[in-house]
Amino acid sequence: MAVTGLLFVGFVVVHLFGNLKVFAGADAFDHYAAWLREVGYPLLPKQSVLWALRIVLGLSVLAHIGAAVTLWWRARKARGRHRRRLGGAESQLAGFMLPGGLVIALFILFHLSDLTIGGPGASASFRHPDPNVHAYANLVASFSRPLVACFYSASMLLLAAHIFHGWRTLLQDFGATGARLRRVWVILGGLIALAVVAGNASIPLLVLAGVIS
Amino acid sequence: MLEDATPEMSLLELLDRLNDQLCEQGEEPIAFESDCREGVCGACGVTVNGTPHGPVPNTPSCRQHLRAFGGITKLRIEPLRSAAFPVVRDLVVDRSALDRVIRAGGHVDVMAGTAPDADDMLIGHADAEVALDFAACIGCGACVAACPNGAAHLFAGAKLAHLAMLPHGKVERTRRARAVVETLDEFGPCSSYGECVEVCPAGLPLTAVAAVHREGLRAIFKGK
Ligand code: HEM
Ligand code: FES
Repeated sequence: MAVTGLLFVGFVVVHLFGNLKVFAGADAFDHYAAWLREVGYPLLPKQSVLWALRIVLGLSVLAHIGAAVTLWWRARKARGRHRRRLGGAESQLAGFMLPGGLVIALFILFHLSDLTIGGPGASASFRHPDPNVHAYANLVASFSRPLVACFYSASMLLLAAHIFHGWRTLLQDFGATGARLRRVWVILGGLIALAVVAGNASIPLLVLAGVIS
Repeated sequence: MLEDATPEMSLLELLDRLNDQLCEQGEEPIAFESDCREGVCGACGVTVNGTPHGPVPNTPSCRQHLRAFGGITKLRIEPLRSAAFPVVRDLVVDRSALDRVIRAGGHVDVMAGTAPDADDMLIGHADAEVALDFAACIGCGACVAACPNGAAHLFAGAKLAHLAMLPHGKVERTRRARAVVETLDEFGPCSSYGECVEVCPAGLPLTAVAAVHREGLRAIFKGK
C-alpha cells in the first residue's frame, strides 16, 4: 500500500508538471506529448519507456486496490459489529480513503478512455496520433463539455484529499518517529495536495472559461 | 433514571449510585470494572454515548466527572466495543488480547546480574523523558475500542518505543519487535484515523504507531 501510494504521488507530481505545459501553448504541450512517446530513443525503441511506465503503474493500481480491499476486510472483522462515529477532520479523511479512492479509480478509467484511448466518453473530435499528436486539441475539445470539466475538477479535489491523508499515513507505515521530520512531512503533503488541485483542476475550469482554447 | 446525581460525581460513582438504587429495588446490580479510581491502573473502561471512557478527552472513566459533561444528562453506557474484547458480563469485557501483546514482548527478560552502580549506565535526560512518556500507557484498551479499524497499534507502539530506548530493553529489541508485531494480527490494521489519541488517558501521541512499523521494519532488515 505504502510503496504503491508513494509511487503514485511521484507519478501525479510528474504528470502535474506535464499538464502545466498547457499554459505554454499548444505547440509546447503537443511537443511534450510527442516526446513522451519516444523518451529513451534511440537507445530504446520508441514508446518502450511509455509502455514500461504504463505496465508498472497498471500493476501498482491493482496492488493498491487489492491492499485497500484487504485492509477494509481486516478492519471490518477486527472492529466487530459496532460502527464508530468519526470525530475530527483527520478521521473523516481517513474514513474517506476507500470511497474516495474508488471514485479516483473510476476517474482514471474515464480519463484514459477520454484522452488516451479515445473510447467511450471521448469528445466527438478526438484524434489519435497520426503521427502528429493532437493532445492539446483533444484536451480543449473534452474540457469544453461543462459536465466533463466539472468531473475532472471535482476528481482532483478528491485526489488532493487522498494524497493529503495518504502522505500522512506514509509517515506511520515507514516508521518515521522523529518529531521534526513528522512536522515537515505533513506540511509537504499539504503543499503537494494543494499543488495538485490548484494546478490540475484549474485547467478544465480555464478551458470552460475560454482562457485556454 | 437517577434523580440524585450531583456534579461532583464521577462516572463510576454514578454507576455505584445506580447500583445502590437497583439493589434497593431488589434487582441485580450492573457489573463494571474499576480499581484505583485515580487514573493509574487501567482497570476501568466503559463507552459513554459512543465514546470510549466518556465525553472528556484523554481521561479514564474513573476520572470523568459529571460537572465536565457540559449539560449532557442522558448517558448511554456500553462496554468497550471491539471484536478483540468479548463481553464477559454487562459492562465488563475480556481484555486478555492486550495481555497477549504484553506476554509476547511488553517486558524485559534479561539477566541483569546484581544491582549495578547508579551511574554505570547513563541514560540521557531527554531519552529518559521520552521513554517515560511512552511508558505512561495504563493498558486500558480505550485506543482499540476507539479505533474504527479495531487496531492496537497505539498500545503496542507505546511498549515498543519505550523499551527500545532503554539499555536493558535494547538487548531484546529485535526479538520483541517480531513477537509483538505478530500478536497484532489479532487486531485490525492502522489507517491513521487518530481516534485513539483522542481518548488515550496517557495522552500518547500517534508517533507510537510509527514506532510499531519502525521496530517491525528494523527487525526485518536485521535478519535472523
Ligand atoms: C485507484 C484507485 C485508488 C484506490 C481504490 C485507493 C484506495 C486507498 C485506500 C483505501 C487507502 C487507505 C489504506 C489504509 O490505510 O486503510 C489508500 C492509501 C493511500 N493511497 Fe490510495 N487509492 C487509489 C489511488 C491512489 C492514487 C492515484 C494515489 C496517489 C496519487 C494514492 C495514494 C495513496 C497513498 C500515498 C496512500 C497511503 C499509503 C499508506 O498506507 O502508507 N492512491 N488508498
Ligand atoms: S480505575 Fe484505575 S484507571 Fe480507572
